[in-house]
Amino acid sequence: MRRCLTLVALLLAAAPAAAGTDAALSARLLPGFAAFRDAAAALDRAAQDDCTAFAVLPAYHAAFDAWMAVADMRIGPSESGAASIAFWPDDRGFTARMLAGLIAAEDPVVADPAAFAEVSIAGRGLFALDGLLGDPALAGYGTSDYACALVRALATDLARQAATLDDGWRTGFAAVLTSAGKPGNATYLTEREAERALYTQLLAGLEFTADVRLGRPLGSFDRPRPTRAEAWRTGRPLANAVQSAEVAAALAEALAGAALPQTQAAMARVRGSAGRIGDPALQDIRDPSARLAVESLQQDIRRLRDAIVAEVGTPMGLSPGFNSQDGD
Amino acid sequence: MTTRRAFLAGLAAAGATPRLGWAAVGQPAYLAAARRADGGFVLTGIDAQGRDAFTVPLPARGHAGAAHPGHAEAVVFARRPGSYALVIDCASGAVLHRLSPPKGRQFNGHGAYSADGALLFTSEQVAEGSAGRIGVWDVAAGYLRTGEVSTHGIGPHELRLMPGGDALVVANGGIDTAPDDRTKLNLHAMSPSLVYLRLDGSLLEQVALEPGLAQNSIRHLAVSPDGQVAFAMQWEGARGMALPLLGLHRRGAAPVLASAPLGDELAMQGYAGSVALSGDGTEFVISSPRGGRLHRFGRDGAFLGAVSRADVCGLAPHPQGVLASDGLGGLLLLRGGATEVLAAAPLGWDNHVVALAG
Repeated sequence: MRRCLTLVALLLAAAPAAAGTDAALSARLLPGFAAFRDAAAALDRAAQDDCTAFAVLPAYHAAFDAWMAVADMRIGPSESGAASIAFWPDDRGFTARMLAGLIAAEDPVVADPAAFAEVSIAGRGLFALDGLLGDPALAGYGTSDYACALVRALATDLARQAATLDDGWRTGFAAVLTSAGKPGNATYLTEREAERALYTQLLAGLEFTADVRLGRPLGSFDRPRPTRAEAWRTGRPLANAVQSAEVAAALAEALAGAALPQTQAAMARVRGSAGRIGDPALQDIRDPSARLAVESLQQDIRRLRDAIVAEVGTPMGLSPGFNSQDGD
Repeated sequence: MTTRRAFLAGLAAAGATPRLGWAAVGQPAYLAAARRADGGFVLTGIDAQGRDAFTVPLPARGHAGAAHPGHAEAVVFARRPGSYALVIDCASGAVLHRLSPPKGRQFNGHGAYSADGALLFTSEQVAEGSAGRIGVWDVAAGYLRTGEVSTHGIGPHELRLMPGGDALVVANGGIDTAPDDRTKLNLHAMSPSLVYLRLDGSLLEQVALEPGLAQNSIRHLAVSPDGQVAFAMQWEGARGMALPLLGLHRRGAAPVLASAPLGDELAMQGYAGSVALSGDGTEFVISSPRGGRLHRFGRDGAFLGAVSRADVCGLAPHPQGVLASDGLGGLLLLRGGATEVLAAAPLGWDNHVVALAG
C-alpha cells in the first residue's frame, strides 16, 4: 500500500513533465557545468602560478571532482565535447603516445593556446594531466622543463573547454531541453522526450561505472587489469565511481521531483561498499579479498541502477530505445 | 512500370483480382515497419510529407523490406535469423504470400526487386557457417523460388540493385552467426566484403578493406544514380576505437573511408544502422541509434556535420534532403544541417525506411 502511494505521489509529481527537466537543469546540471568551469579556471591559475606536479595536483583533483558532476552527460554540447575533456577509455594508448610525442619533440604548440586547441583530443584534457602529473617517470619535471609548459598549456586548454561547455549548456542546450515539444524543436518532440534523454544519460552513466570504470580494471579473475582503471595514476578510480553514482542518484531525484527511498537506500549501500575498499586507486585487486570488495561495489552500483529504473523509469513510462537496444 | 507480364501474372496469382498500383494506396513514398504503443507491429506507407498513406498489421516485428516497382505490394522480412518473409497487399493488408527460405537457409532481413518487378532477390545465409546466398524468386509465378547464387562472402546483410538494373551490390557482413540465434561466432576471424554480381550470380567485383578493419562489418548500403555505393559499417572490435563507419566505392576504384573528427566518431559508438543519399545527391547520411546521432558526409567522404536525435535509425532519400525515422516515433527531414519535424506518432519506427522506386 505504501509503495502504491509512493508511486501515485511520483506520478503526480511528474505530471507536468517539464518540471523534471527544469529541476534537473537548475538544481544539478547547470550548477555542475558552472562549477566545473570555475574549478578548471582555478586549475589554470594554479598551473600558471606554479607548474610543478606537487603544486598543481590539489587544483587538478578539485577540477576532476567538479567534472564528475557532469562527466556522464553525453548529450547537447557534451555529445562530442566531453571526449576532449575526458578521453577515456583509451584502448589504443593514444594519450600516452601523444604526451610522449609532444615531450620528445618539445613541440612549440604549447606556446599557442589556439594551436594547442587543435591538438588531438587524446593529448588534451584531464587524462593527459593524469598521465603527466601521476606518472613518476614524468611528474618530476622542474619549472624550466618542457613538461612544465605542457602542464600549463593543458590547464589553459581545459579552462577554455570548460568555459565553452558551460556556455553551450547555459545559453544554448538548456533551452533545447526546456522547449521540448514546442514548434521548431527537432531534437525533443515532446517534454517526455527531454526527460527521457536525461534519464537515459544517468542510467548510461551508472552502466558505464559498473561495466567500464570498475569492470575494466577487474578484467577476469585470472587476469585482473589494475592499470586499466580510470585515472589510476592520480588515484581517482574509487572517487570517480562513487561520485558518478552520487550524481546519478541526485539527478534521478531531481527528475522525479520526489524523494526516492529505494534509490537512497541503494546509494547508502554503494557508500558502504566503497568504504570497504582499501586502495582508492584499485591497484590491489590482484588480492582476492580486495577484488571481492570492488565486485561488491560494482554489484551495488547495478542495484542502484535497478532502483532508479523501478522508482523513476517505470512510473514515468520511460523505456530504453527501440533501435539502440537491438541493432542489426 | 508494371509490365504486361507482371500484370497478367498478378491477375493469375490473385485469382483474377487486378493488382492495384501504388496510387491506389495513397501514393506512399516510403514503407517502414513499426511497433505500436499497444505492442502490435505494423507496416506503414508514408508519403513525402510524413503522413500515413496506409497501415497494415504484421504478425511480428519486421526488419526491412522492399516495395514492388509496379504494384502496391511489398515484401517484409522478419528479423534475423529470419525464417519467413511476407508479401503484403498494401491496399487490403492481406498477406499474399508467405516466403520461407529453403531448408538450412535463413533470410537476413533485406531484399530487392529487379527493375521490372519480375524477380525478387533475398539476402540469405546458410544456417551452418553463414555462407552468403541470394535467393531468387519468380514474382509472376506467385513468388516461386527459382534458384540461388553465392554472395562470395559470409553473413550478407543488405543488397541493392545497381543503376541500370543489371547488377546487384551486396554487403557481406563477414560475421558467422549461430544457426539458432544471433550469437556471433567469428569476431576474431571476420572477413566483410562488398560484392558486385550480375543478376545471374556471376562475380563482377569484390572489395575488402585493409586487415586492420576486418572487424568492421559492412552491413547497409545506399547507391547513387551514377553508381557510387555508400556502405555503412558496425565495429565489432574493442570499444572506443573510433574507426570510420562509412565507406564509399565506385566500380573498379579503391574504396574511400569517410571519417568524422575523433570526438564525433566516438559519439557514434562504433555503430551505423542505416545509410542514405540525400535527394539532391549531394551528401550521404549515416545513423547511430546507439549514439543518438546522424553524421553527414559529402560525396567525396568529407565530414559535413552531426545532427542529434535519440534512437534514430531509419534513413531514406527525400526530395528535399533525407528522411530519418526513430524509435520514439519521429519522422524528421534533414535539409543539410537543418532539421524539420514532419511527424511524431505514438509508435516506434523500426530500423529501416524503404524508399519506393522512382
